[in-house]
Amino acid sequence: MTAFLRMGGYAQYLWPAYGIAFTVLILNIIWARRALARARAEARRRIAVRGELALQGGQA
Amino acid sequence: MTWTWFHRLGSPPHVYRLAARLTPWFAWPAGVLIVAALYGGLVLAPPDYQQGDGFRIIYVHPPCAWMSLMVYVTMATASAIGLIWRMKVAYAVAASCAPIGASFTVATLLTGMLWGRPMWGTYWEWDPLLTSELLLLFLYLGYMGLRASFDDVQRADRASAVLAVVGVINVPVIHFSVYWWNSLHQAPSVMKLGEPTIALPMLIPLLMMFLGFTLYFVAILLVRLRGEVLRRERSASWIREVVTP
Repeated sequence: MTAFLRMGGYAQYLWPAYGIAFTVLILNIIWARRALARARAEARRRIAVRGELALQGGQA
Repeated sequence: MTWTWFHRLGSPPHVYRLAARLTPWFAWPAGVLIVAALYGGLVLAPPDYQQGDGFRIIYVHPPCAWMSLMVYVTMATASAIGLIWRMKVAYAVAASCAPIGASFTVATLLTGMLWGRPMWGTYWEWDPLLTSELLLLFLYLGYMGLRASFDDVQRADRASAVLAVVGVINVPVIHFSVYWWNSLHQAPSVMKLGEPTIALPMLIPLLMMFLGFTLYFVAILLVRLRGEVLRRERSASWIREVVTP
């Protein structure tokens, strides 16, 4: 196990490289889901505002 | 052959629902391939006779580089389709690509530096390949910056599309710079015509990683695309159906 982690003396370059690549993979999942959630929330908010305006228009 | 499928891709509600349905079909195979490739690359593949275990960066650096280029080509192609056919969904695809591509370009540069240090003795060299990859990052950032500078989505779409299409010239420069100039960077072992110059137990995990990253890109793109489509379809009534729980 230690030999595996040492990676023939390349551990200090190898593991950070894997760390960077997998951080980017995971971040993209989080960012994409957050962007979609934000767009959905924004769309819901617009629908709600439009519903209220329509209601006021009907009463006037 | 009918073109119905192509015309339906112009329909935002169709695209939104299709993207939602397709995402898991790309995400799960991508996850399985990447994990399997990790095991194959870190455990099963033998050390390289020249680079020892250091060669194992090959399972992250070239896949990231592939992403940085493939995502750019996708972005430029979608931009061109948007400009030619005035297709809103194509612009939404292009806009979805930029942050993904930019992040993988950063990963390419950083993992490359970590490979360069032990193999070349330096983190950075103003070499044609490295410089053009850095230029790729600026193209992505320029694209996103340009989009952010417009309040109007349609104007942002058109202006940024022109930038994306013009910038595509940089892609062959990156790809062929290893051959055109006497680069410090080694020639690719896989992406060349004819026989790859790499042993099978090393090659298989690498190909799995390339395929895994590609499927992963499609999955991420589909999620982002839904958000972009929603942002563009401000007043459409179908939105009520898809966003209300």
